Amino acid sequence: MPNPLPDNATARLLADLVAQGLLPPAQAQAIAEAERTQPFSVHYELRALLYLGVMLLAGGLGVLIYEHIDTIGHQVIIGLIALVMAACFAYAERHRSPFTWGEAPPASVAATYLLVLSCLLFVSLETYLQVRYGVFGQRYGLATLLPALVFFPLAYRHDHRAVLALAITALAAWVGVSVAPLAMFEQGSGFWTDILSRPALLLGLGLVAAGLLSEKLHRKRHFAYTYLLLGSNVALAAAMTLLVNTDNAGAVFWWLLVMGLAAGLVWYARRSQSYLFLLLGVVYAYAAVTYAVFRLLLAGDSDLVLSVGLWYLPASAVAVVFFFINIKRILRLV
Amino acid sequence: MRNFRAYPLVWATHTAARAAATGWQRRGLLTPEQSAAIAAAYPLGYYRPSVFLRVGLFLFTWFGLASSGLLFGWIFELGGVELGLALLAALCVGALEWAIRDGRHYRSGFDNALLYCALGAVAALLSLLINKFFPAPAPVSARAELLLLALLLPVLLLALLRYADPLVAAATYAVALALLAKLLLFGSAGRLLLPFVGVAVGAGLHAWLGQLPKRPDYPYYQSAIWVLRVLALATTYLAGNYLVVREGNAALLGEAASGEIPFAAPFWVFTALIPLIYLGLGLRRHDRLLLGLGVLALGFSVFTLRHYHAVLPPAWAATLAGAALVAGTLLALRYLRQPRHGLTAAADAAAPPAFDLEAFAVAQTVELPTAPAPGFEFGGGQSGGGGATGSF
Repeated sequence: MPNPLPDNATARLLADLVAQGLLPPAQAQAIAEAERTQPFSVHYELRALLYLGVMLLAGGLGVLIYEHIDTIGHQVIIGLIALVMAACFAYAERHRSPFTWGEAPPASVAATYLLVLSCLLFVSLETYLQVRYGVFGQRYGLATLLPALVFFPLAYRHDHRAVLALAITALAAWVGVSVAPLAMFEQGSGFWTDILSRPALLLGLGLVAAGLLSEKLHRKRHFAYTYLLLGSNVALAAAMTLLVNTDNAGAVFWWLLVMGLAAGLVWYARRSQSYLFLLLGVVYAYAAVTYAVFRLLLAGDSDLVLSVGLWYLPASAVAVVFFFINIKRILRLV
Repeated sequence: MRNFRAYPLVWATHTAARAAATGWQRRGLLTPEQSAAIAAAYPLGYYRPSVFLRVGLFLFTWFGLASSGLLFGWIFELGGVELGLALLAALCVGALEWAIRDGRHYRSGFDNALLYCALGAVAALLSLLINKFFPAPAPVSARAELLLLALLLPVLLLALLRYADPLVAAATYAVALALLAKLLLFGSAGRLLLPFVGVAVGAGLHAWLGQLPKRPDYPYYQSAIWVLRVLALATTYLAGNYLVVREGNAALLGEAASGEIPFAAPFWVFTALIPLIYLGLGLRRHDRLLLGLGVLALGFSVFTLRHYHAVLPPAWAATLAGAALVAGTLLALRYLRQPRHGLTAAADAAAPPAFDLEAFAVAQTVELPTAPAPGFEFGGGQSGGGGATGSF
């Protein structure tokens, strides 16, 4: 990011402001003085270096431990990871803000980072235990669900959106893992993605519902963004997969579902004034409409594909650009 | 070149003025009323939507142009690809000028896409024409490349002066540098001179760019100048770096393994000193760019040294360096808790609040019609160069 303004330009601007009567000369002088004497902040540079140092230290130590694992022993390492995890967690717990269903005042930077670190260490510890001692045996479902079960309460207790995103990811992993083996029994040759899509669709819809409910019931309203962003993407990707993999009659249903979800995103974007959701909704709807046009064209005459398709793509892109530019008028945004 | 600019100069100066006023208000140097009065006296008057809409506009404009390129190719099957490309470029420039004048687009994603498409079409057209008129075998094709770069450079320079786009600035610099290197390599001593010329060109360009903030049209070119400064400083360091010179030399000679280079000593001196110069100047002049690049350059210099003269195994080196870095940074954080030597470890009060996707999204989407809230238009002018380009 470029520096805001160099000294010359600042002086010029201040002179302009005084000339226009927007600033008393004394105040302009005070601002120029403050600009000249204010100390240079190396806050983010030092934080970046600290982060780099931690990464180097952790990486180097990791390799050293790996190289000397026979002399150190697994129990010591597991104990070490557990100890660090507990220390990080204890620090975060000691410095957290008291629980509220609203938005809690932000905890210290260190507490925020250490909570994420302890969550990541929890996953490594669990993986280590499973790989080395097989504590979960063949119950992979339980092994993948456990992080989600731990992270969701933590996210609410500490009012931590990054941990919430971790919890949702863990939940998605659980859905993926516990369904995939079934695919092999149900359908010998079918698309496993097709089998996986339905639970993924349900998960996505569930997350969207959780987001809308948290907003409506005023239970951590600010979590709605995370729920809706992740949930709508999972649901729409799953519905698109189903649309592509389904034959004639069923495809209509999935197409309508995609369009409905996209329309829902636009509706939510309009309500929450969030252009990110608007962009997502438009992109998914555009993909679905374009897919439908070409699928219908391909079902018929092949000459038609070329002539209509060549005109369709630029014309539709122009339509979307027009929609974006005139979005405030079309959606009656403030 | 008084009237050569495509966008009105006031769009840039007003954006910069508002950004400065917002920063002063954050530091408590202005009352909110004064800041609002300044914002009213410096209206923006151009169209630049929130970052997600800019991404959408850029993507769909680009997609529409690419697919209309297909359409053009189909229509001009008879006239040849050249005619289609020329028409596409003309259409893009026409649409771009119209969008700026009538639509008041200022790096909205739409004008960015049109500009890049026009320049891309011109570059493709030049390349096709050169290949058509000089269908050259291998030794002559270097000349054809040279000709292409020489023809492309004025086009890019004109586009840079007119539109002041940061990505065009980077492309112009890359083409100019490639042209210079190719010209040098025609001569027999060129290979030996190349690194020294690189160091000198980067340093010279950086010194010249340092004069530009005095000009009244500086805000218009601010983001392009910033990009050029990054590239100039990177060129100076990399052209003098021992590893780059040695491996580059081997690559030019077509050797599989690099051997010791002639005049190795000055390059070791450059490798050691340039990062320290960047760091020192950055801290003294309060220049964040020099400071950041100095840290990166120092890291690469350490890598260069280890690449040829490694003493410790990597794991031990990483552990010790990490421990030293953590200890050193913690000490610096503690030492600079009180401002000393004009430096402080506290966050800059005038800077926008720390990056947070949610806060960012909120700041982007809350578009108040008159009074600018903190974070309104997210830094306005200085992010201007970002436009859609910053998002990619």
